[in-house]
Amino acid sequence: MTRNIPVSLEINGDPHDLRVALSDSILDVLRDQLQLTGAKRGCNQGVCGACTVLVDGRAVRGCLTNAAACEGEAVTTVEGLAEGLTLHPVQEAFVEAGAMQCGFCTPGMVLATAALLSENPTASREDVVQALSSNLCRCSGYQVIIDAALAALETGVEIGGEAGA
Amino acid sequence: MTFSRPSTVEEAVAALSAGEQVAPLAGGATLMAIANAGLVELEGLVQMAGVGELSGSSRSDDGTVRIGAMRLHRKTAGDDLLIDGQRVIADAAGQIGNPAIRNMGTIGGSVAFADPAADYLPSLLAADAVLELAGPSGRREVPAADFFLGWMETALAENEIIVAVRVPPAPAGSVGIYRKMSRVAGDFATISVALVLQMDGETCADIRIGVGGCNPTPVRVPDAETALVGSDLNTDAVDVAARQITDACEPQDDVRASAAYRSRVLPRIIGRVVTEGRQIALEGS
Amino acid sequence: MSKLEARVGIRMPRVDAPETVAGEAMYTDDFYLPGMLFGAVHGSPIAHGRILSIDTSEAEAVTGVKAVITGRDYNHVLAGPFIKDETMFATDRVRYVGEPVAAVAATTPEAAREAASLIEVEYEDLPAVLSIDEALAEDAPVLHEDLASYFCTFEGKGTGNTLCAGDLTEGDVDAAWAECDVIVEQTYETGAQHHLYMEPSGAVAEPDRQGKVTIWSSLQSISLAQQRVAEWVNIPMAKVRMVAPRIGGGFGGKGNAHFQPAAAALALKTGRPVKLMLTRSEDFEMMRSRHPSRVHMKTGAKADGTLVAREFEVILDCGAYADDSPGVVSVAVLMGRGPYRIPNIRARGVGVYTNKLKAGAYRGYGNPQVSFAAEQQLDELAEKLGMDPVDLRLKNTMNDGDRWLGGQPVAVSSAAKCLETARDAATAAPALPDAGPDRKRGLGYALFSAPHGLLSTAANVALRTDGSIAVATGAVDIGQGSDTILQQIVADALKLDLDQISFASQDTDSSPYDWKTAASRVTYMAGQACLNAAIEAREKILVHASDLMEVAPGDLELRDGGKVGIVGIPEKEITFGMIAGRAHYQTGGPVVGASEIMFETPAVDPAVAQSKGLAFSKVGAYSFGAHAVEVEVDEVTGEVEVLRAWCVHDVGRAINPAMVDGQVIGGFVQGLGYALLEEMVWDPDDGRLANPTLMDYKIPTAREMPEIHSIILETPFGDGPHGARGVGEPPIVGAPVAIANAIANAIGKRPTVMPMKPERILDLLDGESA
Ligand SMILES: Cc1cc2nc3c(=O)[nH]c(=O)nc-3n(C[C@H](O)[C@H](O)[C@H](O)COP(=O)(O)OP(=O)(O)OC[C@H]3O[C@@H](n4cnc5c(N)ncnc54)[C@H](O)[C@@H]3O)c2cc1C
Ligand code: FES
Ligand code: FES
Repeated sequence: MTRNIPVSLEINGDPHDLRVALSDSILDVLRDQLQLTGAKRGCNQGVCGACTVLVDGRAVRGCLTNAAACEGEAVTTVEGLAEGLTLHPVQEAFVEAGAMQCGFCTPGMVLATAALLSENPTASREDVVQALSSNLCRCSGYQVIIDAALAALETGVEIGGEAGA
Repeated sequence: MTFSRPSTVEEAVAALSAGEQVAPLAGGATLMAIANAGLVELEGLVQMAGVGELSGSSRSDDGTVRIGAMRLHRKTAGDDLLIDGQRVIADAAGQIGNPAIRNMGTIGGSVAFADPAADYLPSLLAADAVLELAGPSGRREVPAADFFLGWMETALAENEIIVAVRVPPAPAGSVGIYRKMSRVAGDFATISVALVLQMDGETCADIRIGVGGCNPTPVRVPDAETALVGSDLNTDAVDVAARQITDACEPQDDVRASAAYRSRVLPRIIGRVVTEGRQIALEGS
Repeated sequence: MSKLEARVGIRMPRVDAPETVAGEAMYTDDFYLPGMLFGAVHGSPIAHGRILSIDTSEAEAVTGVKAVITGRDYNHVLAGPFIKDETMFATDRVRYVGEPVAAVAATTPEAAREAASLIEVEYEDLPAVLSIDEALAEDAPVLHEDLASYFCTFEGKGTGNTLCAGDLTEGDVDAAWAECDVIVEQTYETGAQHHLYMEPSGAVAEPDRQGKVTIWSSLQSISLAQQRVAEWVNIPMAKVRMVAPRIGGGFGGKGNAHFQPAAAALALKTGRPVKLMLTRSEDFEMMRSRHPSRVHMKTGAKADGTLVAREFEVILDCGAYADDSPGVVSVAVLMGRGPYRIPNIRARGVGVYTNKLKAGAYRGYGNPQVSFAAEQQLDELAEKLGMDPVDLRLKNTMNDGDRWLGGQPVAVSSAAKCLETARDAATAAPALPDAGPDRKRGLGYALFSAPHGLLSTAANVALRTDGSIAVATGAVDIGQGSDTILQQIVADALKLDLDQISFASQDTDSSPYDWKTAASRVTYMAGQACLNAAIEAREKILVHASDLMEVAPGDLELRDGGKVGIVGIPEKEITFGMIAGRAHYQTGGPVVGASEIMFETPAVDPAVAQSKGLAFSKVGAYSFGAHAVEVEVDEVTGEVEVLRAWCVHDVGRAINPAMVDGQVIGGFVQGLGYALLEEMVWDPDDGRLANPTLMDYKIPTAREMPEIHSIILETPFGDGPHGARGVGEPPIVGAPVAIANAIANAIGKRPTVMPMKPERILDLLDGESA
């Protein structure tokens, strides 16, 4: 597939003018063109959530998001969460809780949590389970990830919603 | 290979007519998945997101709610314009896939793709919804009941698009619920039942039952419903109707369940959903 | 983390957690090397057939294609851990859909895939066998006609489609049945579960001009993979360097190389780096599954509940190649008595070839299949005897000093304690609100055990010139956290901060040998090696300190943060740095501790048991666990919901309890999927996998997760580091059968086929009302 479609978008705050192929997903572009490899390819079918990115703040599937359709959008990847060496509160919470084993699902889980935090800072445990049911984890059994997300919600509220992506 | 970004319905239709393998791109949740799997060779895409007429939802004076084809599942799930029995559509929207899919997928994309296990399909039947279409030969309206023709086959003509879904007002005080059995959260339905029910005291005043996942198309059996109107929805009456609806289904074996299982369980699930709907209706009055 | 009072027994996050959450951890697919080509595999479209011809000309003509390789180019080295029956590519025969026939390297992934699809292979179809029964049928087509001539590491090689068969007996079963007042007998079947690590398999191979190839690949062993690449590509191991990148889960499925040698061969042939990633569907079709099984079991007891005799046969459906199957069959046999005293046993284990992708190691290694039968039989007996199923178990659990089936002594058994703890926890929990109409609740138990001692490993601990410590082991962290745990063990032995330790990532050029990350053995085996190496380094450090401080080594003590002091005199101390300076520049030479260990205890003691044809001679070191599970069954749909679970695991010593919990809860949920919904299904018409995508093959999500209580017991087991044993596998041994017992408890009917899908439960329920 030739990359013949121009698209201008913002990735992690930086403007990018790219050329993409018709059926390129944003995941293809992030990984193959920009070597932003934080978003993972677990299935390429929209099921696992390892490829999660935020488009205008909403958690979506990177593998199903057509790249050309992102014209003018703001895309946030896991690489865009930390500020320099300072981790985002959600990332901190995941480290603190030890919310990972192999870690392959972690970037997606972190972004899904960050999106939830900005959409619904007072989310209940039920809400967290709902939101994170979008993302598969084969290692952890989810419990520790849910705990981390709840901890992040608490911190996020304290620092006044700054945690939102 | 072209990627077009039209802003009107007419431009979109024109862009579609420009080539052979040119498809409308809505949320991409299905189209990109099948492209990634190598199941379609695309020559062009028409991005529907910029077509203003396809977005949002509105309610007219007679209570009809018009949902733009590009309306996200998430928005429809939380759409307060849908009231009474119309809620069946919001209820279905809220059970599609998972939150990330509901952030991407649109009602137009789902209905156009017409996966027999898709959640909207039986709810559109139960809600008596009408589809607004636009194509090279102009605009037309097709009732949902006439839209689904076969396995992933619809009444859409070549280069015709769905513009909106129109949901007529439901009977006053009716309830609309959607229940879905699936292997795990986030999966398509193994069996699903959409119900719109109006009770008059203990008597059923109006009932519509849509079934998903059990036939190449969504199923509704008006005769079975007529028999229930005027009854108190006792177990025997509901059972007869449920069996009649089941008889109208031709389920298939697939990875979610066997056809035999669906035939066995569907009448029981219909019974259960009607009982629940009745309960809600009685509590509400 | 500067003042670490305790380094062992504390909950601490993985050392690499920060880069993981930042998205910076490097998995195989994250490597983008300059000039890199992309690989693709051409897999067989048919389940069984003869290859008549292969034409690669069209593939070679695709723009961007740099190399196409087939079995013709490689001299058909047969390889396999137990039976050498598999080649890098199919050359004369294909035996399952997806079996690699050729591979391509091209400048883009699209070109590689296109070329792979253009490889023309002419086949002569052969009838396929897709089940145990078909494989064992008298006139069944034979998959491996040359089986008799294959090299085999053990004595139980079979004939026809039986690849291995082994027996183990203790006591006199035939005579013992007469002593039994009650006997239960049943056949149980289990399905093929896919490992479904979230990271699909892949490899990046980079050649150099000395003919050496470096490979980053998501694998559970660098050493086994190095050997396999060398065998298949036909180069010395010295020319193969395997480096472990971050591994996105394994669970047994990434135990050995498979398509990785093809990536290496393509790289060597083109002189350019090659990335070969499997798509999720290719991973499903080409890698491995858990063995489908059929277990026939008969158990008898006296009226007072004393278990007397058991006879069982376990047949595993191994797929097209032997791979780990003989080992899995052996472990299934060894685990068929469970942690009980049953004096008379006759066991038989059989592995059969079928035209499906190969079954291999998967968390539990034969144990979940045989336990699905064994732990249900105890409930069935309890019911017949009118006894409480927990009491029946407690009456028969093995005690300290009893022998495992086969005769290996078990110095410490905490089986009874595990089960009592699980029962206490389950009964003390507040009852849930009543189930709705048409719903029934049940509680079920399982008691189980798993071995952790197997094969060999080694470790080095070296003092650096500034007094910090370098640790090297070949044991790969596949997500379970062993990098962290092994560092904790070394830090504890040397009283260091974790910041003072550098832990080498696994690399065959520099890491000591480790067999593989499997059998929950890393903490137990590599942990011992690391601890021994650290202790050896400590001894040398103390000798230097004794010379420097002019006191006897016995008067010295290690102090936190890398210091040695004189006991009782707080101000008298020197640093590891000073010792390192002396060792490196003055006398003695660099301080290095090294340890190599092998698990040496035989599984079978001929004085106790007679065995024939088992593949593992030395395996053992058992740990114990018990699960109590509460389920709710929907009588309308047959759906089962797991509501609560109490998972008790005795790990000897929890070096890092957070990681034990992670294994327990993660393992339970994986077991829940195995029990209720996961099954690879092959189309009986063409032998294709019917559900090779995540849309079709479902695993539990956060919404299926029950309330899970992980309860850790710590009865030191003696030989492990700090008395520790493994915990990776046991949870998935207990979960499925505890769920089965809970279902039976709820509905009064016994599910004998797993996964216990709604349809199967409904059959049981309707059978009851009929
Ligand atoms: C992991 C996953 C889980 C899912 N689970 C469910 C589920 O449980 N229930 C369920 O119902 N669905 C489910 N879906 C499908 C989801 O709802 C899709 O979003 C939907 O089916 C397609 O919507 P879309 O907007 O993404 O359409 P697209 O993928 O953009 O398009 C789908 C098809 O419709 C055509 N099309 C799009 N818009 C129009 C239009 N206005 N007029 C004419 N043709 C049009 C496209 O050309 C394409 O052929 C799931 C999808 C995924 C990936
Ligand atoms: S890779 Fe996109 S959802 Fe799995
Ligand atoms: S930590 Fe391995 S998939 Fe979640």
